[in-house]
Amino acid sequence: MRCWLTGLFALTLAALVVPIGAGAQGKDTITVALPSHAPTLDPHMHFERVGVLVNINMFDSLLHRSAKLEFEPSLAVSWKALSDTMWEFKLRKGVKFHDGSIMTAEDVKFSFDRVLEPGQEKKKSPQYGNVRAIKEVKIVDPDTIHLITDKPFPLLLERLVYFGIVPKKHIEKVGEEAFGSTATVGTGPWKLVEWKRDQHIRLEAFDQHWRGKPAFRYVVFRAIPEVATAVAELKTGGVDIIRNVNADLMPDLKSHPQTRISTTPILRVHYISLDMRSAPFDKKAARQAANYAIDKQAMIQKMMAGLGKQVATVVQPAAFGFDPSVAPYSYDAKKAKELLAQAGYPNGVDITLHSAAVDWRPHFEALGQMLTEVGLRTTVKMWDPGPAWNKFFQAEGKATNGQYGSWGNYSVFDADAVLHPLYHTEPGGWIGKHYARVEGLDKLIDEARSSIDQAKRKRIYAEIQRMIREEAPSVFLWTQNDTLGISKKVAYEARPDEWLWLFAAKPAN
Amino acid sequence: MSAFLIRRFLRFVVVCIGVSLVTFSILHASGDPVALIMPEAPEADRAKLRDALGLSDPLPTQFVRFVANAARGDFGQSFFHREPAFGLVVERMPTTLGLTCLAVTLALAIAIPVGIYSAVFRNTLGDHAATAIVFLGQSMPVFWIGIMLMLLFAVQWRLLPVSGWGTWSSMVLPAVTLGAFTTPLFMRIIRSSMLEVINLDYVRTARAKGLSEWLVICRHALRNAALPIVTVTGLQFGLLLGGAVLTETVFAVPGVGRLIVGAIRQLDFPIVQAGVFLLAIIIVSVNFLVDVLYVYLNPTVRLH
Repeated sequence: MRCWLTGLFALTLAALVVPIGAGAQGKDTITVALPSHAPTLDPHMHFERVGVLVNINMFDSLLHRSAKLEFEPSLAVSWKALSDTMWEFKLRKGVKFHDGSIMTAEDVKFSFDRVLEPGQEKKKSPQYGNVRAIKEVKIVDPDTIHLITDKPFPLLLERLVYFGIVPKKHIEKVGEEAFGSTATVGTGPWKLVEWKRDQHIRLEAFDQHWRGKPAFRYVVFRAIPEVATAVAELKTGGVDIIRNVNADLMPDLKSHPQTRISTTPILRVHYISLDMRSAPFDKKAARQAANYAIDKQAMIQKMMAGLGKQVATVVQPAAFGFDPSVAPYSYDAKKAKELLAQAGYPNGVDITLHSAAVDWRPHFEALGQMLTEVGLRTTVKMWDPGPAWNKFFQAEGKATNGQYGSWGNYSVFDADAVLHPLYHTEPGGWIGKHYARVEGLDKLIDEARSSIDQAKRKRIYAEIQRMIREEAPSVFLWTQNDTLGISKKVAYEARPDEWLWLFAAKPAN
Repeated sequence: MSAFLIRRFLRFVVVCIGVSLVTFSILHASGDPVALIMPEAPEADRAKLRDALGLSDPLPTQFVRFVANAARGDFGQSFFHREPAFGLVVERMPTTLGLTCLAVTLALAIAIPVGIYSAVFRNTLGDHAATAIVFLGQSMPVFWIGIMLMLLFAVQWRLLPVSGWGTWSSMVLPAVTLGAFTTPLFMRIIRSSMLEVINLDYVRTARAKGLSEWLVICRHALRNAALPIVTVTGLQFGLLLGGAVLTETVFAVPGVGRLIVGAIRQLDFPIVQAGVFLLAIIIVSVNFLVDVLYVYLNPTVRLH
């Protein structure tokens, strides 16, 4: 009986066996695992990282950003500011869309207009907020356009780096729905072959692309929500690149014979935003105490595999406006206790901190522990990221006494991209409107935002960094790395802007 | 029979309205989708979009409009996909239904013979071993079983694909994982209901007629013992349909569960409403089928 059963079991298994490597791809294909797909392939109708990563390989923008984060010509070959509010772009000639038609100034104007929708009540593009400073797109001649902003807008070039140019005639012909799902056409290195929702997006190299041919003929973006699954796929050759590898997975991927990791500092800064509306963080001394209470170096070394850098404020070294002369808070528990006593809490005080950064729970708890040790007795409250949290924290601003989180700057390498959302108290803004109460800060942020004189902006940002270092509206923590898990068959390195620019990927050896 | 059908249909309508109302209220209490659609836009632009989507009307008005449209099969456009929500859900339904049916079939195929074995040879080593496995199976969370099976069969032995959907080989691990969750329950129920009937007079009579033990158990005992299994299968089917989301996530299966969970995170109301509604209809229908099957299996039960 037992023999018979074993035989049956073996037989069943044999029947199920598939040829090894059936899922693995040939040398002309690179496969990337993403946690999900964006709802559409139309680059203007979503603003999700997972979609951006696909779109940049299918669409070109006016400007491209190199791996060293410098602006490079793309669909625009040159650009200059004609005045504080007017920019001129010379377009590349003879660029073809995937359907064979030539890209013109009409297409560029159409691309902006469909997001800005002049004269229309219902603005439906999630990217509207990013480019709404653009008042008008003017065609000067077939190779020249002017972008006119409503006020000086120093972030314009940054915003243009991810703003795909789409074909006017094609979209008018096939309609927006088909354009976003089955008939997606751009000027980028790869064109759409097939999109199976929640399964894979398959792209094929576009032979007439102006940069030339990419090293991989096919690109596949698979949707794999579970990290453990993506790791298993990487090890068995089902995918070649996985993103956001956590510190605890690194030793495993480093030692596996077929995988390696590639890591780089990214534009993401971690902080505890302090609620300045109420006690105890309405007092500067209490906020400074919290900054002295955290042993940032220990956490970076022990909990993040050393992949992170302590920061003096929320402005990072890679961002425009960073001032290296502002020194980070050291770890000094004694000083923290003194400052807390000075703030009127010689016996300590109870506080609550909130967070929805589920991947960083251990760090959050360690932060709470360190604060408790100096007398800021912390209750850490972990939230599930989702509607309830959004409402409590962002919409209603009820997250007293503070929030631990991180800000990714939307990959905009400018101090404004983090200062405005965190500290500007403008209604409709992000968390600054609830938490921040630093006198004079709003005015400085506005001033820097409305000038395109970069030297002047740099001066203002230096002043802001000294100001927030002193006023401490947040506990300033560290920058984060992004780590890719990569198959040893592929030559590619992680970028500081977290982009997957696969044109740079090649088969290894 | 027709009175039964009418009553059943009325109950069905009540369930549908109830499900819609609950889903609708929870969603609308949970936040503002426009803030997620236009993350960096000023309040004035958001208000315009809210008007355009009909989200600024009073809630009762919105609910009436929703029910009126839903009755015509129109659940509205998904906020993010910009396509009819119902279509997005229907497109993924065969995958989830297929996975669930496979899992239930697999679970029954294992549970029935093992359950019978346990009952017939109760308190033997085999029975105890089966019971132990039952407890083990029920104590392990679905996603953990899934990942363990994946590590073993896909990474270590390379027998099956790690994840994905479409080929038969890719369906094996998800179906086994989901089935493992429900097999123990089926096994226990079959064992206990078999034990109940196995010593009844009519079974003893059947044996006394000289029928083989095999025939006695399969033809006489099992038919009566099967009744609770039918009921439980109906209930479990609904549970598995809802529970498929974990399996779908672990094995990257493009099903309805994953779609709905994603939509909840983004507050994409139309998709959540269409998805929950369709799942509710399927569960109600399955339970209806179970009732009918019950009559067929047990003529002493009348439909009323």
